[in-house]
Amino acid sequence: MSESTAGSIYDLGYKRYEGSRLGRRHAIWALYIYSVRGVFGIGRSLSSKVGPMGLVIIALLPAVVQLGIAAVAPADIEVIEPEEYYDFIQIVLAVFCAVVAPELVGRDQRMQTLSLYFSRALRRQDYALAKFAALITGMLAITLIPQVIMFVGNGLAANDFGDYLQDKWRDLPSILGSAILLSGFIAGIGLVIAAQTPRRAYSTVAILAAFVLPSVVGGGLFEAADQDVGRFVLLISPLHVVTGFTLWFFDAAPEVGSEIAEADLPGIAYAIEAASVALLTLALLLRRYGRISA
Amino acid sequence: MSLIRTISLTKRFARVTALDGLDLELEPGIIGLVGANGAGKSTLIKILLGLLQPTSGSGEVMGFDVFRQGPELRQFVGYMPEHDCLPTEVSATEFVAHMAQISGLPRAAARERTAETLRHVGLFEERYREMRGYSTGMKQRVKLAQALVHDPKLMLLDEPTNGLDPEGRDEMLHLIRRIGTEFGITIVLSSHLLSEIERVCDHLVEIEDGRLVRSASMAALTAPTSVLAIEVDGDAGQLADRLREQGVAVNRSGRFLLVQKEDDALLDIIRDSVVDLELGLVRLEQSRRRLEELFRSLPVEEEQEGSRV
Repeated sequence: MSESTAGSIYDLGYKRYEGSRLGRRHAIWALYIYSVRGVFGIGRSLSSKVGPMGLVIIALLPAVVQLGIAAVAPADIEVIEPEEYYDFIQIVLAVFCAVVAPELVGRDQRMQTLSLYFSRALRRQDYALAKFAALITGMLAITLIPQVIMFVGNGLAANDFGDYLQDKWRDLPSILGSAILLSGFIAGIGLVIAAQTPRRAYSTVAILAAFVLPSVVGGGLFEAADQDVGRFVLLISPLHVVTGFTLWFFDAAPEVGSEIAEADLPGIAYAIEAASVALLTLALLLRRYGRISA
Repeated sequence: MSLIRTISLTKRFARVTALDGLDLELEPGIIGLVGANGAGKSTLIKILLGLLQPTSGSGEVMGFDVFRQGPELRQFVGYMPEHDCLPTEVSATEFVAHMAQISGLPRAAARERTAETLRHVGLFEERYREMRGYSTGMKQRVKLAQALVHDPKLMLLDEPTNGLDPEGRDEMLHLIRRIGTEFGITIVLSSHLLSEIERVCDHLVEIEDGRLVRSASMAALTAPTSVLAIEVDGDAGQLADRLREQGVAVNRSGRFLLVQKEDDALLDIIRDSVVDLELGLVRLEQSRRRLEELFRSLPVEEEQEGSRV
């Protein structure tokens, strides 16, 4: 074994690779895992972790506080109901998506890494699918996890955990269903916007605007418009839709006097809209990556 | 089965036709793809990789249809683009291992081969650092490594020496030559510099305006000509005069006298003339054709790109 000057090659001889080649499904899986790690900045520098990890902590805070209260002062009262939780962290959800989505897809456009992906063992649409799944998975950390923490916390606070389970197990499918729909809905909107531009600042602002502006505009129009038309206005606001379908999942009534209560739309309308938007954004994403030049 | 086969491959963009009914059939080896900028080299490479859809025509690589069997085929293909393509926020090790997995290698094998490949391209301690601070030379090495890590059967290298200084260029070409010969991987190397192709490749494909101009082995292209080059130690002019006296047409080119060789008798005439004039015969050889003579339209000098580091 010899090495000449620095920068030249070690004379080790080349080894052929005779092992297995796992093909497209493995490639998609590897991209998914890599992207999920990227969402939280795992394997990246500290500065890439600060944003997403900080937001996760903020999103978990109400649930953890509740868990703490339950541990210290066990009482038979729930501080936050599961259907209210997303209202607490709405803005965190939007900001998380606005921070993470541009990193997830914009970076590969900015650095022109897409041509390396598309010249490997996957198809363009596979790339879009893996990224979409990765962001949904990332979002679950701030939707599903706090709900689970709260569920456990409230169980511990109850006098008898067995009774609590018997009483509340019906919440579990609601928790899971609402968390997945919420994650898909927000991830879809965020990714479709982020995939349009390599510029991170633009897409971050655009994603935030997509969540916040319709909420303000929708609220205003709702006030102004007459009842027959106005009640549908809330459907343009993603954040109202989130509240709407969460209530539907938990079969709960909206707060009296809230916009959702006054609109008095069937809860399933919000759920159907959220599911349609999630599917539509996925379709748009697949189309975008089918055409993007690389 | 040929390695690469295209049948009337055509690619039209809004304003230009990049490939115009290209028929190509290539056997394994180290293949140089030459042509001026905009001749269609990159377009051809991108179509073979499935990065671009052709307007019409078909292409096959190693028996795989490049459009229908892309993912299967591309497990065995490595691509080094002309442009920057590396993320800045991960280390070379992490990125190359990731790319190996995207080419279908299991995780453990990907890690192992990444370490070896980065060593082969000459990247050492710095491979654990974020790529943000890498020099152009280091980036080019990582780009080469990600194209090699999964032990492909074919590597498509698009202007791999772009942006390198002369030393870096030498090392890159040496590395590519070694991958082609010792590692036994077929290479398609595009360059607008003939000198690079001449150094590295054993087959040459020239395209111009999206059409095939020639495809031939380097040996055939640089075959001996019927011109004899004579170099003497002494006054070449004297020899030239003596030869002309005996009815031989002589051209002078620098230190050399060039004569058209029609039969072996000429060799005797030259020998006798040299002896008579008491000159020393330094060289008497059939001159080879030089690539530059075939490609007058292409830049031969290395200046333009190399200095832009």
